[in-house]
Amino acid sequence: MTTPAAPQARPVRPARPARPARPARPRAVAAPRPALQRPRECAVTGVAVGLARHLGAPVWAVRALFIVLALLGGAGILLYLWCWAFIPWEPGAATPTHAVPVAWILLIVAGTSLIVAFLGVDQYQNWGWAPYAVPRIIGGFAVAVAAATVAGLWAGFVDRVDPARGAGHAILTRVIAIGTLVVVLVTVSGQVARGVGPVVGTAGILLPALAILAVLSPALIQQYRELTGERIKRIREEQRAEMAAHLHDSVLQTLALIQNRAGASSDAARLARAQERELRAWLYDGDQPADSDLPTDLRDYAGALELDYPVRIDVVSAGLSTERASGEVAAAAREAMLNAARHAGGEVSVYIEGRVAGVDVYIRDRGAGFVLDDVPDDRLGIRQSIVGRMRRAGGVAAVRSTGSGTEVHLHFDGGSSA
Amino acid sequence: MREQIRVVIVDDHSIFRSGLRSDLDDTVVIAGEASDVPSAIAVITEACPDVVLLDVHLPGGSGQDATGGEEVIRGCAGTPTRFLALSVSDAAEDVVRVIRAGARGYITKGSSGIEVSRAAHAVAGGDAVFSPRLAGFVLDAFGAVAGETAAVDDELDRLSAREQEVMRLIARGFAYKEVAAELFISVKTVETHVSAVLRKLQLSSRHELTAWASERRLL
Repeated sequence: MTTPAAPQARPVRPARPARPARPARPRAVAAPRPALQRPRECAVTGVAVGLARHLGAPVWAVRALFIVLALLGGAGILLYLWCWAFIPWEPGAATPTHAVPVAWILLIVAGTSLIVAFLGVDQYQNWGWAPYAVPRIIGGFAVAVAAATVAGLWAGFVDRVDPARGAGHAILTRVIAIGTLVVVLVTVSGQVARGVGPVVGTAGILLPALAILAVLSPALIQQYRELTGERIKRIREEQRAEMAAHLHDSVLQTLALIQNRAGASSDAARLARAQERELRAWLYDGDQPADSDLPTDLRDYAGALELDYPVRIDVVSAGLSTERASGEVAAAAREAMLNAARHAGGEVSVYIEGRVAGVDVYIRDRGAGFVLDDVPDDRLGIRQSIVGRMRRAGGVAAVRSTGSGTEVHLHFDGGSSA
Repeated sequence: MREQIRVVIVDDHSIFRSGLRSDLDDTVVIAGEASDVPSAIAVITEACPDVVLLDVHLPGGSGQDATGGEEVIRGCAGTPTRFLALSVSDAAEDVVRVIRAGARGYITKGSSGIEVSRAAHAVAGGDAVFSPRLAGFVLDAFGAVAGETAAVDDELDRLSAREQEVMRLIARGFAYKEVAAELFISVKTVETHVSAVLRKLQLSSRHELTAWASERRLL
């Protein structure tokens, strides 16, 4: 308890900084390069920062390089996508978050190019001519479709799981993206009706339509996954129920019989009981996490004691169980159960009655009993671990011992945590 | 020496029946055995035993196995036979359902032959057999822990103060005799209280008693 912590326990800090917040001055370190990984808190995808760390270059330089390369026939874009696809996230449990609202920026781009395209169409129809009309119209619609599609996909795949944005945000951006695409589709169909070349017309209708499907796909994919997951879960549940029924009819009966025949506190009965408890917990509690309230905790502890001592402990609880398993009451109850198992053995009953504020715990054994005053002062069990502990926690512990058994009653009042 | 009683063992596991048969003490005579609902009803109406040791889960009924025990009790409604439910499952819905169907007590299959014999005698004598677990559940289900107390003795949805005391002591692991000594009353009075509680458990209209119990994993 007062033993000083071992000095060498502190681990040596690894040479690679886990998450350097600023682009470190590169040349100073001769240590091995940081692995090529994307940080989980990134601006867009983390490619630039990851590369910069790996290369020891400033982040702005990497970004500038990408932009310059992108202007050279789009090589930078390909490189960026390639890096994005193949550079792993840095290890960690956190869901990646993206600082830049990519979806919104793309939607603004889409909206702007849509306006540009509409202005072109307007001028063309009114005057029959506009400067660069055809590239403006076709390019505007094309960029609008592309940007809206990417925005919708980004929202559906990336933003939906991003804790900084969330599902509501994703739905909003996707609705806007689809709206944009529908506007394009309607406009282009109108133009096709007036007579445009067949190639342009087909592409003009097909592309926005495909884009709408693409934006909708994350929702469809997710729904499909949920459906499959649901089915698998149901099948598992059914199998589990079948197995539970089978085990109930065979193994549990046999375990009950063993206990029945072997006598309450014999080794065989104790083993059978422990097995029965484990099997039962597995069968009926399923995957639900065991909530660690007082009765659950004492039940687990009783199970452990039954393995170590020739004793059978019945834990019964009634009422609310607001008392935490880590509290002083639980500690005192455990001590009392240990005493009963160690000194009395046989059958031990534990009864927990929880009220809105406070709890009563009774631990009763059928041992030979003892006189509290006869217990030597240096024996800490009862005096310190039970009575003293309850008093310090603001409760009361009463020990009543007769020739036919001992009962420890722990009483704790008040809602304050023990 | 207690007088002899005649029992019928109803359980679909022959290994359990044979185990129990050899384990029960001399005062308990086996009048018959059955392994499913129709044969159980036939054997009970014919042998007319004092007590039936009845497995809660039983095949051959009209519904699921889990309700087989109840069907036997209902099928034997005319006979004076009393029922003691045996269960491995400890699941609240099973136990409470079979008690509400008319069983006079409940005991786990892990109990020793002596315990089962004792319980059978108690049931044969018209008393109820409550395990600590069942007592804890009753306290909870009738709101005794929350401080609800019956004003009149025959109120069905609540326990009287005395009944609560008795139930609490049983939940704490006291035998009837010890309860009597603790409360300075006779064993007969304790048995009366327990029977009253059993009657309330069977007749109470407290809503959804079983569903509520299983939801909270009380038994």
